[in-house]
Amino acid sequence: MEQSRPFIIARYTAAILIVMIFMFPIFWFALTSIKPISAVFDKDGVIWFDFVPTMENYRVTLLGESSIDVNQNTRSDFGTSGGNSYDGRGSILSSIIVAVGSTILSAGMGMLAAYGLSRMNFRGSQGLLNWILSQRFLPPIAIIIPLVFIFHDMGLRDTYVGLIIAHTLINLPIAVLLMKSFIDDIPVDIDHAAMIDGATRWQVFWKVILPMSKGGLAATAVLCFIFSWTEFLLALFLTSSIRTIPVKITTFVTSTGSEWGYISALGTSAIIPGFIFILLVQNHLVRGLTMGAIKD
Amino acid sequence: MHPSADERADNRLRLPRWMTSEHPLPWLFPCISLLLVFGLYPILYSLWLTMYKRNPATRMETFDPAWNWSRLWADERVWDALQVTLTYTFVAIILQLTLGMLIALLLDTDRKGFGILRALMTLPLVVPPAVTGMMFLLMYDGSFGVISHALYDLGIISKDDPLLATGSTALLAVIIVDVWQWTPFMVLIMLAGLRALPKDPFEAAAIDGATDVQAFFKLTLPMMSKIIALAVLIRGIDLFRVFDYVKVMTDSGPGTATETLTAYTGTIYFKSANFPFASTVAIFTLLVVLIVANVFIKVFKVRF
Repeated sequence: MEQSRPFIIARYTAAILIVMIFMFPIFWFALTSIKPISAVFDKDGVIWFDFVPTMENYRVTLLGESSIDVNQNTRSDFGTSGGNSYDGRGSILSSIIVAVGSTILSAGMGMLAAYGLSRMNFRGSQGLLNWILSQRFLPPIAIIIPLVFIFHDMGLRDTYVGLIIAHTLINLPIAVLLMKSFIDDIPVDIDHAAMIDGATRWQVFWKVILPMSKGGLAATAVLCFIFSWTEFLLALFLTSSIRTIPVKITTFVTSTGSEWGYISALGTSAIIPGFIFILLVQNHLVRGLTMGAIKD
Repeated sequence: MHPSADERADNRLRLPRWMTSEHPLPWLFPCISLLLVFGLYPILYSLWLTMYKRNPATRMETFDPAWNWSRLWADERVWDALQVTLTYTFVAIILQLTLGMLIALLLDTDRKGFGILRALMTLPLVVPPAVTGMMFLLMYDGSFGVISHALYDLGIISKDDPLLATGSTALLAVIIVDVWQWTPFMVLIMLAGLRALPKDPFEAAAIDGATDVQAFFKLTLPMMSKIIALAVLIRGIDLFRVFDYVKVMTDSGPGTATETLTAYTGTIYFKSANFPFASTVAIFTLLVVLIVANVFIKVFKVRF
């Protein structure tokens, strides 16, 4: 369609303005992370760029260098890192272990189940798929209390394995749904051709389906990773000494005040992996997110 | 050379039996067993917990199936929390849907630079909600928050009523955070929907002299109705169990002005350790979600 020049300019202006508004909180947070503390709090108003940048907050939260504040804060509520309660290294490690573990489990189990559901027609397969999906719709609060007891009895409370299982529980339905929509798109004739050549189901899955659905698997994995990386409620209830970043960061708010420098430094760092991953799989993600809704 | 039949059979024999199975069970077993043990069993456990009456003084629990439910019925905080949750869900979904659709329409073009703008638009989705809460806490702060100061300068709020500490503004302030984080999700879904629309009806409409606005209401909206319904369902269910923002930003306050059902359950769990009653509120939340979601699915004929 022909569009007039003013219309195009208006569209660019509006789009850039909207995106800038949505980027502003992240920008402000990142800006705060390099401010000296005197530039965060100011009686006369808000300081924008009138300060000398410092990496102090990153040194404390990412490298574990101690700061003056620590001496005043003797609470022993820090994570596995020990020593410095503003040292975010332990929580970063916890987050990585849990997110990677849960991503592997959910993507792996999800892909197996998706193949089974996509390729084998059996009685109740639709019902089963619906049941798996309905698990996604459960409010986590409805299972969290018994889960605490069950984990306690099984020795899974406050363990990496426990939190990985809990996050997998949340991720699995989405993983199954996404992977199924990607596998459904691969013609079943390809499976049959491979099997006529003597391949077993497992070989078909491993050598044909897996390589062909790499993009979908990547999108699924990224989504699982981000869900686990950002999850708060399960981590809060199920662990006490293991602290993932979202939980750890809330401990920087104390009754005597919030450590905005450390909060913004660790927070900004926590955003970066997700940023990179989501940009890498953007196109697959858009397709996956819409699921079957736009197919027919 | 092709492998002989014997070699092929040999190849098969070397694999464990479940790997060669034509039966769906081995493929589905890991997934189903995890969901049964850690998903379904806890729900049953929760239901069983609701049947016990806890004596806060002795910490003894006695079997009394109706006790917690009659207490729930009489507990005004539950109904307040339900009202807050419904308000939150409803207002947030309207804002996210409307903004999401408008932004998607704005960004749905192949002109130079819009690809980058679309990519940037998705970034709020990867910020952990607890971090998002912190981010806005910093900007809402009454003495040094950039948003509060902008609102002071515009004369919209006064310094005596900090955003998050004032009952009338706290809930809206938290909803704005949700809108910031999740409107991009709606944009993504709407963009995918817009891209999948057939071109022909629009060309025909243009020839017939329809305006863009007419085309949007007569063609785009009806053709997108399915995907809009699905998006509303997914977001609605997520919104209904909102916890992170409330916990981090207001801790249900001021008073109970921002206390949602999930937050109230958490309060009972952490503060009074009355697990049977906490479970009852949680199961109540689940029931409301199930009923509302199923009615929605029936009315709007949502399919997955």
